[in-house]
Amino acid sequence: MNQNGAGIRFEHVGVTYPNGYSGLRDVDLAIAPGEMVAVVGLSGAGKSTLVRTINGLVPITSGEITVGDVGLHGLHGARLRRLRSEVGMVFQSFNLAKRTTVLNNVLMGRLHGTSAWRTLLAAWRKDDIELAMRALERVEIVQKAYANASELSGGQQQRVAIARALAQRPKVILADEPTASLDPPTSHVVMRDLQRINAELGITVVVNLHFLDLARRYGQRLIGLRAGEIVYDGQGTDADESVFEAIYGRSLTAEDVLPSQPVELS
Amino acid sequence: MTGAVGGARPTKPRTWWKTVVVLAVIAGITVWSSIAIGVDVSAIAENAHNAANTLIQLMQPDYSFFPQTLPALLQTVQMAIIATAVSVAIALPVSFWASRATNPNSVALGIVRFIMNVVRSVPDLLYASLFVTVVGTGALSGIFALVLFNLGILVKLVSEALDGLDRGGQEAALASGASWFKANRQAMLPEVAPVYISQAIYVLELNIRASTVIGLVGAGGLGMLIDQVRTFYQYHYLSLIILEILVIVVLLELLSSFARRRLIK
Ligand SMILES: Nc1ncnc2c1ncn2[C@@H]1O[C@H](COP(=O)(O)OP(=O)(O)O)[C@@H](O)[C@H]1O
Ligand SMILES: [Mg+2]
Repeated sequence: MNQNGAGIRFEHVGVTYPNGYSGLRDVDLAIAPGEMVAVVGLSGAGKSTLVRTINGLVPITSGEITVGDVGLHGLHGARLRRLRSEVGMVFQSFNLAKRTTVLNNVLMGRLHGTSAWRTLLAAWRKDDIELAMRALERVEIVQKAYANASELSGGQQQRVAIARALAQRPKVILADEPTASLDPPTSHVVMRDLQRINAELGITVVVNLHFLDLARRYGQRLIGLRAGEIVYDGQGTDADESVFEAIYGRSLTAEDVLPSQPVELS
Repeated sequence: MTGAVGGARPTKPRTWWKTVVVLAVIAGITVWSSIAIGVDVSAIAENAHNAANTLIQLMQPDYSFFPQTLPALLQTVQMAIIATAVSVAIALPVSFWASRATNPNSVALGIVRFIMNVVRSVPDLLYASLFVTVVGTGALSGIFALVLFNLGILVKLVSEALDGLDRGGQEAALASGASWFKANRQAMLPEVAPVYISQAIYVLELNIRASTVIGLVGAGGLGMLIDQVRTFYQYHYLSLIILEILVIVVLLELLSSFARRRLIK
C-alpha cells in the first residue's frame, strides 16, 4: 500500500443546492489510496459538484464523504482547512493570480502552514520556497519561477496550477476539467503530468473530463455521471458503445474524441 | 441567405419613448430647480463692469508675491501628502472589509459599508469646518478633514475594484486550506494593487485641490492665504495662487500618468 495517497469514500451522498436543485443523488463510491479515476459526463451532469464535495467547496446535504479518516459532513473552520490542505485542486480556468509571479502562485499551496504575519509580510520560510521550486521542477517549468503568471501560455499556466497543488504535498489531487481550456497537444501534456504524479508519488487523483478518449487513456477507472447519478463505474477499457449511450444519452460521434496524439514537450 | 432556421426573426424592441421620457424628466427638474433657486440672468449683466475689472486683475499675476506664498504652498503640499499617506494606509484593510469578494461575513460587510456611506456623504468643507471648531484653526484640522474625505473615496473605489476582480486565485487558495485573510493577501492583493496605487495618486491630486478649499474655513494651507487676499480684493495675488495650484496639479497629473503606465502593464 502506498502511504502518500488517501482513500475517498462516498456513502449515500446527496447535494441539494440552495435553490432546490439536486446536484448529486445518492452517490456511493469508493476510491482506493493511490488510484487515478476519471469522471465523465455531459456538461451539467454534476462532475464539478462531485469533485468539489471532496474538499468541501460544495457542502454535502446528505450522506457522508470520508477522505483518509476524516468525515466531511458538517466539517468547518480550522478542521475543514486542515483537510483542504491535504487535497490539491486544479481548475479548468487555471485560477492563478495573474499579476504576481509564478513562484508566488505556487507558494499559495503553502499558505495553510504559514502564519498570518509571515503571509502578510511575504516572509516565506526557506523550506517552503524550496518545496515550491521542486514542485515547479516536477512540471518542468521552474525556469519561469520569477515570471508573471500572465506572461505564460495556457498550458504553462495549468502546469503552474499543478505545481501549486503539488506544493501542498497533498494526499489527493482533484482536477476539474483541467484540459477544457487547452488545445489537444497541450491537453495531453497536462494529463501526462497528472498521470506521472499519480504513478510516481502515489497521490490519489480524481479528474473530471469532457472527452471520453482522454478519460479512457489516462484513467485506470472510469466513472460515468448523468443527472447527478453514477451510471457507470468500471475499467476505461471496458467502456463500450452502450456505456457511452448510458452516460451521454446518445451514440458516439467524432466530436466526442480529442483528435491529436500525445506530443513530446519541447 | 438561408432563413427560417429556428423561427421568424424577432422585431427590434421599441425603446425610443423611454429616452424621450427620461430627457423630459431631466429637463423638467432643471427648469424647476432654476426657478426655485431664483437664477437671475440679468444680475450677471449688471455686474459685468465689476467682473471685467476683476478679470483684468486676474490676468496679471503678481510674481513678486511668490516668496510670501511659499510657506502656505508648502503647507498645502504637506497636508495633502500626510493626509494621503494616512488614509491610504487605513483604506487598504477597510476596503477588503467592505468588499463582498473578500469578506464572507455579510453582517460585518453591511456594518462597514454603512459606516463608509456615512463618511462619504459628508462634504470635505463640512469636515473642515467641524474640525476647525473642535481642534482649532490650522493644518491639523485640515489633515483630519482630508483623511476622512479620502477614506470615503478610496474605500469605495478600491472595494468596488475588489468586487470586480477575477476570484480564481482566491478560490484556489481557499481550496488549499488558506484562511480568508491569507487567501486575500496572497491572491487578491496583487490583483488590486495597480488600482489601489493609481487611486492613491488620484487622491493625492484631489487633496492638493481640496486643501486649498478647506483653507477657506481656516483649515490651513493656501486656502487660508486665498481667504486673506480675497478679503482685500488683491486679485493679482489671487491669480498667482491659482497659477501655483495649477502648476502643482499638472505636475502631479504627469507623475500619476507616468506611474500608472509603469504599474498597469
Ligand atoms: N451553486 C449552484 N446553485 C444551483 N445550481 C447549481 C450550482 N452549481 C451547479 N448547479 C447545477 O448543478 C448541476 C451540475 O452542475 P456541475 O456539477 O457544474 O456539472 P458539470 O461540472 O458536470 O458540468 C447543473 O445543472 C448546474 O446548473
Ligand atoms: Mg463542471
